[in-house]
Amino acid sequence: MEMDSLPNGNSTIPTTIIPTTTPSTALSSKLTQLTESLKLEHQFLRVPFEHYKKTIRTNHRAVEKEVSSVISVVNDAADSDISNDDAVQHLTSLVSRLQGLKRKLEEGSRTENLQAQRCRARIDHLESADAENLSEWNNMRMKRILVDYMLRMSYYDTGLKLAESSDMLDLVDIDVFLESKRVIDALQKREVAPALAWCADNKTRLKKSKSKFEFQLRLQEYVELVRAEDHLRAITYARKYLAPWAATHMKEMQRVFAIVAFKSNPECAVYKVFFEPKQWDYLVEQFKQEFCRLYGMTLEPLLNIFLQAGLSALKTPYCYEDDCTKEDPLSQESFRKLALPLPYSKQHHSKLVCYITKELMDTENPPQVLPNGYVYSTKALEEMAKRNDGKITCPRTGLVCNYSEVVKAFIS
Amino acid sequence: MDLNPIKDAFDRVAKKQKMSGSKTQEVVAQMILEIENSLEIIKAEHFGSEVDCKSVFGELKKKLLEIAPLSQLEGTQKELNIALSKYPKQLEKSFNPDIAKAYRNIDFDAHTVNQIIAGHFYRQGLFDVGDCFINEANVPESTAAMKSLFSEMYLILEAMKNKNLEPALNWATANSNKLKENGSDLLLKLHCLQFVEILQGGSRSKALSYVRTHISPFGANHFSEIQKLMACLLWSGRLHHSPYSDLLSPTNWNVVAEELTRQFCNLLGQSFDSPLSVTIAAGFQGLPPLLKFMNVMAGKKHEWQSMKQLPVPVELDREFQFHSIFVCPVLKEQSTDENPPMLMQCGHVLCKQSINKMSKNGSKTFKCPYCPSDIDSTQCRQLHF
Repeated sequence: MEMDSLPNGNSTIPTTIIPTTTPSTALSSKLTQLTESLKLEHQFLRVPFEHYKKTIRTNHRAVEKEVSSVISVVNDAADSDISNDDAVQHLTSLVSRLQGLKRKLEEGSRTENLQAQRCRARIDHLESADAENLSEWNNMRMKRILVDYMLRMSYYDTGLKLAESSDMLDLVDIDVFLESKRVIDALQKREVAPALAWCADNKTRLKKSKSKFEFQLRLQEYVELVRAEDHLRAITYARKYLAPWAATHMKEMQRVFAIVAFKSNPECAVYKVFFEPKQWDYLVEQFKQEFCRLYGMTLEPLLNIFLQAGLSALKTPYCYEDDCTKEDPLSQESFRKLALPLPYSKQHHSKLVCYITKELMDTENPPQVLPNGYVYSTKALEEMAKRNDGKITCPRTGLVCNYSEVVKAFIS
Repeated sequence: MDLNPIKDAFDRVAKKQKMSGSKTQEVVAQMILEIENSLEIIKAEHFGSEVDCKSVFGELKKKLLEIAPLSQLEGTQKELNIALSKYPKQLEKSFNPDIAKAYRNIDFDAHTVNQIIAGHFYRQGLFDVGDCFINEANVPESTAAMKSLFSEMYLILEAMKNKNLEPALNWATANSNKLKENGSDLLLKLHCLQFVEILQGGSRSKALSYVRTHISPFGANHFSEIQKLMACLLWSGRLHHSPYSDLLSPTNWNVVAEELTRQFCNLLGQSFDSPLSVTIAAGFQGLPPLLKFMNVMAGKKHEWQSMKQLPVPVELDREFQFHSIFVCPVLKEQSTDENPPMLMQCGHVLCKQSINKMSKNGSKTFKCPYCPSDIDSTQCRQLHF
């Protein structure tokens, strides 16, 4: 068979799938790709900003409170008869209060400035990514994602160690997560007070997102009172803290009130769930979600999101075969296991990889067919023929043939 | 990516924050001044006639009312708030605000993920971090096996960074047979580096004897390289000005270090890159088209959770292409074992189903869709990529 030239000449040269890319288009496609991947970094800029904003708000609220309290002290004094001594004492204490406030303000603005610096450092880091330092930059990105994972899974020591050893404390959110650690630790010890304090701190925003986390905390505290058979206090507690939620959570409320009727160990499944210890784990999970939402983070660790997308993009039926190359992550059992419930990737165009050289077979390096139907790249076969006096040995079947016997395949 | 709008928006926030801060300082200072004034008045009059404290306080109250500290603060705070609410909006505009949109809600087994991560730390040479993680996350000790595998490699690489080739040469010599089998000339490359180092050290005779003992055995296959090295001897001390100055380039060291890493991993039966890094990098390339799809198909969230194949093609770079994928140009589907690619007499390739369809199950010849050849389906051959 003679197949190197097409029967009807050059007029219908088949177009091969992979267009030969000139270096400049390759570079520009690399840059679009970079832009696309940078657009996935919303959280990277958002979290330090939310932190910054929170500090600003807290500081401002403290000032407002102190100033209005000073004013009201003055107003009260102006309306009453006080002795000279008392007046001097009053005024002196006001001055020292305000001076204390001034010191606090200075300290506060130092914190604000540091946090602003961190926000800037993040923007600069994104800007620093370009074609030259890409592999180093990606390496850093990998580490950032790992620190994010550590912090979310409460592996604080590892997270801190990794961040410190790579000198990237400004690029990760360790201090933000340490704030959540206190609450999580307390919940694990079955204490709700820090969680409630956190709710109070973020009242308006939680309300805006219609969070019912505080309700769940109150509910749990109430359940604990019932569990301890302190029914009187349970009822008082419910009146005080649960009743305000009646308008929005009537159904749960009714169910919950009913549990007082039982001893702490009800038979009925509907009520039994309230007493299960895993309710506390559930609260921890709930808190983590609220916390992430508040800071504009994804609810899942970044690592899981990118791992999933990557596994789907890489997954082909061939990955699960025995001769899968070890360069493919999916040749490893652990990756295969994670990818199992994920969809296969989809391709609209053929992409052929030479079994021998692992290089792409395209117009530059077209695929050639041995008499037994096995396909290898021109480069690999030429090389082999040169070394063995024009003889080709198929590495997969052992067939030996002459280089002149191979034919080119056109893949469109 | 254009980050300027983001920078501008942030600069505005920072500026307003500074303004609000100094305004607050100023207002508090004003208040302190007024109160101190009143204090002075009361103290001054203390020894004289009976002072009317009430009127002093009344005066102070009036003064504070004039300063109106709260409304002063309110003004700057308002401007700050505007900037504060604009910045996140700008972020949402410039970035993809929800990258979890294409996340399938499956349980990602945390133990497996942790094992993968521990392995990643060790193979990246982050031994301390790896140890810490294994402790903290309760990863089975067996994962630490990776540590001993890779610690030698990092010792070698570390030494190379200090221009010490001895550990590298020892390893390559010990594994020279396996390296040869894999077609790697790493050992020769290492010897060449060492030779250049010796030559740069100024000793021509030492360099010559080094070639004799270590490099000449490669003579059979690498004649031209050795010739080049011998020629370098003539330029001893002036290698910079010689035609062989490229031998001095520090990138040579990086190239050899990379080759060593590749071969070392290869002999360990490990991939060259950390599989976790590869997957995450693929994720960064694969996620944008998926997010775009989810934006269009907002209503089909449910289907997404059960699809067997991604609904949109995800093009990855060459480096992620580990397997041959054949997509039949007629059927537009990937080939399978049941529907393999077939080579027609003209050299074009279609999948079996397409050929069966066009030949009416082999009952007639048909025209190749890409050229005017007549194709006899019995003459088509199955291909193995």
